Amino acid sequence: MGKLWVIFVASISIILPFLCNSFSPETPTDRRVLVLLDDFAIKSSHSLYFNSLKSRGFDLDFKLADDPKIALQRYGQYLYDALILFCPSIERFGGSIDLAAIINFVDSGHDLIIAADANASDLIREVATECGVEFDEDPSAMVIDHTSYAVSATEGDHTLIAGDDFIKSDVILGSKKIDAPVLFQGIGHSLNPSNSLVLKVLSASPAAYSANPKSKLSTPPSLTGSAISFVSIVQARNNARILITGSLSMFSNGFFRSHVQKAGSPTKHEKSGNEQFLTELSKWAFHERGHLKAVNVKHHKVGETDEPALYRINDDLEYSVEIYEWSGTSWEPYVADDVQVQFYMMSPYVLKTLLNNKKGLYSISFKVPDVYGVFQFKVEYQKLGYTSLSLSKQIPVRPYRHNEYERFIPTAYPYYGAAFSMMAGFFIFSFVHLYSK
Amino acid sequence: MGRSSSTKDAQALFHSLRSAYAATPVNLKIIDLYVGFAVFTALIQVVYMAIVGSFPFNSFLSGVLSCVGTAVLAVCLRIQVNKENKEFKDLPPERAFADFVLCNLVLHLVIMNFLG
Repeated sequence: MGKLWVIFVASISIILPFLCNSFSPETPTDRRVLVLLDDFAIKSSHSLYFNSLKSRGFDLDFKLADDPKIALQRYGQYLYDALILFCPSIERFGGSIDLAAIINFVDSGHDLIIAADANASDLIREVATECGVEFDEDPSAMVIDHTSYAVSATEGDHTLIAGDDFIKSDVILGSKKIDAPVLFQGIGHSLNPSNSLVLKVLSASPAAYSANPKSKLSTPPSLTGSAISFVSIVQARNNARILITGSLSMFSNGFFRSHVQKAGSPTKHEKSGNEQFLTELSKWAFHERGHLKAVNVKHHKVGETDEPALYRINDDLEYSVEIYEWSGTSWEPYVADDVQVQFYMMSPYVLKTLLNNKKGLYSISFKVPDVYGVFQFKVEYQKLGYTSLSLSKQIPVRPYRHNEYERFIPTAYPYYGAAFSMMAGFFIFSFVHLYSK
Repeated sequence: MGRSSSTKDAQALFHSLRSAYAATPVNLKIIDLYVGFAVFTALIQVVYMAIVGSFPFNSFLSGVLSCVGTAVLAVCLRIQVNKENKEFKDLPPERAFADFVLCNLVLHLVIMNFLG
C-alpha cells in the first residue's frame, strides 16, 4: 500500500509540470508545439530554427503530416498550444486533423506558423486563405526580382531574393535592427484587402513579380510589386497569432548560415538576416513579446480610496489601471504614453490620455461631466503588434440632490432684492390704493 | 421745414397727451406709478444679467418674472377699477382689489419657491 502511494505521488509530480506548463492567461507563452513535417529530413536541415525554439523552453513534438495518429485535441482538451506546419506538399493530414480542426485550434486562441513553398498543396492554400492570405494560384509560380535578388556565384533565375522591406515595429521584430537582408525563395502571396487583421511583415520590392521562372512570361503576372508579401502575420481578435510565409527554405540552416549580398549593394553580409528575423518573429508569434494584460482597474473620488457605487455630476474622480507586458518569463511593466480612457455613454464624454509612472500604473483624474446617466469607463487599446486591451466598467452618475444645490449665491442677490422689493411694493401699494380716497 | 413741423407736431402731441392724462383719477395714477416701478426693476435685472452672466438662471427668471407678473396684475387691476371702462361697470372695485390681492399671493408664493 505504501509503495503504491509513493508511485502515485511520484507520477503526479512528474505529470504536474506538464499540466502547469500549458498556455494560460497567467503565463501566456505557448509551451507544447506540434511540428508537422513532410519528411523527417526537415528536422535536421532546419535544426538551427528548431533548436532556438527548444532553447527558449518550447517542447517540440515532431510528427509526419500524414501520420495517422496525430491529433490536436483529445477528450475536448487541446494537446498543444501551437502548431507549426512545415509540410507544404501535404494533400491530406493524417489522424483527426483537417482544415476545420486547424481553424478551430486558432479560434480557441492557439498560435500557428505556416510555411508554404512553390507547389504548395491546395490544403495549405486553403488554410492560408482562411487566415486572410492568398497564395499565387499558379502552382509553379515563384517570386522573381531582377533588381533586389541575392548575388550568388551563378547568375541563376533571380528567385533567391534578398528582402529588406520590413514592417516598422519594434514589438514584432524586436528592438535590435535587422541589418542583413533576409533570404527568401518561394511563392508569393497577397493579403485579402477586406481583412484588417493581416499585416505584411516582409514585403517584396516594387520590381518583384510572381511567375514560373522556367517558362517564358506570356501574360502579365497576377501578383506584382510591393503587393506581394513574403511573410505576413495575423493577430486574431482572440489574440491568437499566425505567421504565414511562402518559403520553407528561409527557415533552413543553409539560409541561416548563408552570407548575403543584395544586388546593387556594395556591402556583403557574412550572415543573412534570416536567423534574427525569424527568431524575433517567432518570439512574437508565440506570445513572448507584445502580450498585454490589464489588472487592478480602480476608480475613486479624489481624496478618497474606496470605490463608490455611483458618482454625482461634477465630481472629481481618479481612474487607474495597471498594464503589464509578458516578456517570456515574467510580467514587466508596460510603458507607453498613448493609453486613453473614455468616460462613455453612447459616445465618449471624456477622453483622457492616462499618465504612467513607468512601473505599469496608469492613472488620470478628471471631472465627471455635467450629465447624468449610466456611464462606462472604457479602455480600448489597440496598437500594432500588441494584443488588444478592451476594458469597460459600468458606473451610474446621479444629478444633484435638492439639498446639494448652492444657496444664497452672491451674484443672485439683486434678483432676491427685486423679488422682495416687489413684495414690499405690493404691500405698500395696497395701503396706498385702499386709503388714497 | 419738414423737420421743424414734425417736431412741432410731436410737441403738440405730448402736450395734448399730458393734458389728457392730468384728468386721470388719482388712484389710476398711483397704479401707473406702481407699474412703472415694476417694469423699471425688471429692466435693471436684465441689464445686470447681461453684465454678470446667466449663472443662477432660476434666480434671474424668478426676479424678472416677479416684476413682470406684478406689472401685469397691476394693469389688470387698473382696467377693472377704471370708471370709464364700461366692460366692468357691474364689477365692484372692492371685488377687483380682492382678486388682485389673491393673484399676488399666488404669484409671490411661486416666486419664493423658484428663487433658489
